[in-house]
Amino acid sequence: MDEVRMVRDRYPEPAPPTAQEIARAKALLNEAPRRSLPRLRWGLGGVVAAGAAATLAFTLVGGNTSGGGNPAPLRTVNLDAKGAILAAAEKAEQQPIGKYWYVDHLDGQSYIMRPKTGTYAITGATSESFSWYGAKPGMGEAYYGRDLPAHPLTARDAALWRKAGSPSSFRVWSGDKYLTFTTKATKWSANGPERGTDPRGGGDFMGKSAKELQNLPTSPDELAKMFLSETEMKRAMGHLPNPRAELEQRFRQAEPYSDIMRVASLLGRAPVPPKVRAGLMRALASQPGIHAIGRGTDPLDRQGVALASDDRATTVTGEFGGPKVDQGTYRSRAVVIFDERTGALLSRQEELTKPGGRYAEMKPGFIIEYQAVRSTNWTDTKPTPPAELPFD
Amino acid sequence: MTGDPPPRPAERFDEVFDVYFAEIHRYAAKRLGPDAAADVAAQTFLEAFRQRRRYDPERAHVRTWLYGIATKVVGRHKRAETRALRTRARLGPGRSSEEHTERVDSRVSAEGLRGELAGAIAALPRGQRDVLLLVALADLSHDEVAAALGISYGTVGSRLNRARTTLRKALGGTNPMLTLEEQHG
Repeated sequence: MDEVRMVRDRYPEPAPPTAQEIARAKALLNEAPRRSLPRLRWGLGGVVAAGAAATLAFTLVGGNTSGGGNPAPLRTVNLDAKGAILAAAEKAEQQPIGKYWYVDHLDGQSYIMRPKTGTYAITGATSESFSWYGAKPGMGEAYYGRDLPAHPLTARDAALWRKAGSPSSFRVWSGDKYLTFTTKATKWSANGPERGTDPRGGGDFMGKSAKELQNLPTSPDELAKMFLSETEMKRAMGHLPNPRAELEQRFRQAEPYSDIMRVASLLGRAPVPPKVRAGLMRALASQPGIHAIGRGTDPLDRQGVALASDDRATTVTGEFGGPKVDQGTYRSRAVVIFDERTGALLSRQEELTKPGGRYAEMKPGFIIEYQAVRSTNWTDTKPTPPAELPFD
Repeated sequence: MTGDPPPRPAERFDEVFDVYFAEIHRYAAKRLGPDAAADVAAQTFLEAFRQRRRYDPERAHVRTWLYGIATKVVGRHKRAETRALRTRARLGPGRSSEEHTERVDSRVSAEGLRGELAGAIAALPRGQRDVLLLVALADLSHDEVAAALGISYGTVGSRLNRARTTLRKALGGTNPMLTLEEQHG
C-alpha cells in the first residue's frame, strides 16, 4: 500500500484564499520596507549600529519615570514658528562643503533578562556603522560596520547584572528565535551585507547633491511640503502609487512615526546646513501627531530638545513562540532629540509610555531601541572609522 | 512546472507572490485548516520577502524555497496542527459531517482526514511529518524536500520510511485506502 498516496488523497481540499486574505498578505509586504526603514533610509545603505555604556545611565526624555501614563515633560519647549529655542541654530554659520562627508552611527535594542537575582535590561544587537561619501560623484564612498558589546542599559541594570554574576553572554528571544549576544566587540569590517566600498560613488546625499542641500529653503512650510507631504512620504517609503484603502489607513496611522523617521534620516545622514535643520525641526513639530516634549538626554548621555509622536500599542502574541512572559500589550512612542544649538540630530528612539507585556517591569521612558549619531562632519582627508568604542 | 524560468525573488517579488500565494495557502490550509492558513501564507511571504536577497537559485527552485519557509512557519503552529488532527481523529471515520457543527468539523469534507490516519499523523515526530507532508501535499521530490528543509537526501528517505511504517502500523497493517473507500463508497 502507498501511505503517501493515501495521505495525499485523504487531506481535504481546502477553499482557495479569499480576495481579502490575498490583499492582507500583500499589504503586509507593502509594509515590509517600512519596517526595515530605519536601516534602509537612515542607513543610506550603511549598516546602522548602536551602543551605550555599561555605566551609562539614561536620563529619560521627559524625565518622569514614576507611575504610569506618559512621561511628563520637564519643561515645555516651544518649537512653533515664534519659538526662540532654535535661534542659535538659525544663526549658526553654514559650514563650507569639504571633500568628504562622514557619518558615524550607533544603534541598539533593549532586551529584558530575568535571572532569579533580579530582572534587568541590556542593550543587545548593538553595532556601529561608519560611512563616508565623496563630495562629488566619482570620489568614492565606503561603509564599515562593527558589532559592539552587549551591556546593561543603566547603572541600576549594571548592578543587577553584577548580582547575576556578570554574565558575558545573553540569550534572548528576538521575534521568532533565540539570539545570543556577547560582551565582545568585533573589528571594523567593510565586508558583508550593507558594507563595502564603491570607488565610483559619492556626491549623492539622499538623492541630492551637496550643493542642492546647501541651497534648500529654510522655511518650515516649504520644507514640510518638500519632505513631509503625503505624496513625498509615500514616494520615500516605497509605497505603491495607488494603495488600497486598508493600506491608506495604515499609512495614516503610522504617519507621525514616518515623519520622525524621515526627518531623522535627513538630519542624521545628510550634510544639511543649520538653518535648514532648524526649519526641518519646526516643520516636524507642526505635523499632526507630533509634540514637543521638552528637554531630554539621548542614549549617549547628551542633552537636547525632544519631539515625540503620539504613542501606539504593540501586542505580542505567542504566535511565533517565545517566552510567555513576553506576551501582552505595551504602548510606546517615537522620540527624536536634537542639539538645539546647531539643529543637529542626536538620536531617534522608541520609548515605552505604558509598561506591559515583555516590558511590564520597565518604567515609562525606558528605551526600547534607538539609533544615535556619534559624529558626522565634513573633512578634507579621507575618513577612517574610530578605533575607540563609543562607550567604556 | 512549466519551462519558464521562475520569477526571481530579489527583483520580482510581486510575481513570486502572484504565482505561488494560492499554492502555499493551500498547503497551509491542508496542514492547519483555513483559519490559520491565511496567517501562515502571509507570514511565509513576508519572511520570503525579507530573505529575498539571500535566496540562492542554485540551491533550490523558488517554489521549493517557499515550501521550506512555509514549513517552518507551520512548525510554529505545531500545536494547532496536532490539535486539528486529533480532533479529526476523534471524529472517527464513520460519522458524517452533517452531525457536527464545530468549526473543525466544518472544514473537513466528507472525504476528509479522519480517524486513525489523522491520529497517526498527529503522533509523528515533526521532522517526519514535515517530510511526509511535503511529499504528499506539496509533491516535492526527495531532492526538493532536502533543499527545502536543509537536510540531507538520505535523511529525507529515512524519515519518510519511518513515517510510512508508523502509519502502516497505526492503521493495523490493513489497507486503509480500501477501508476508507468502502466506507464512503
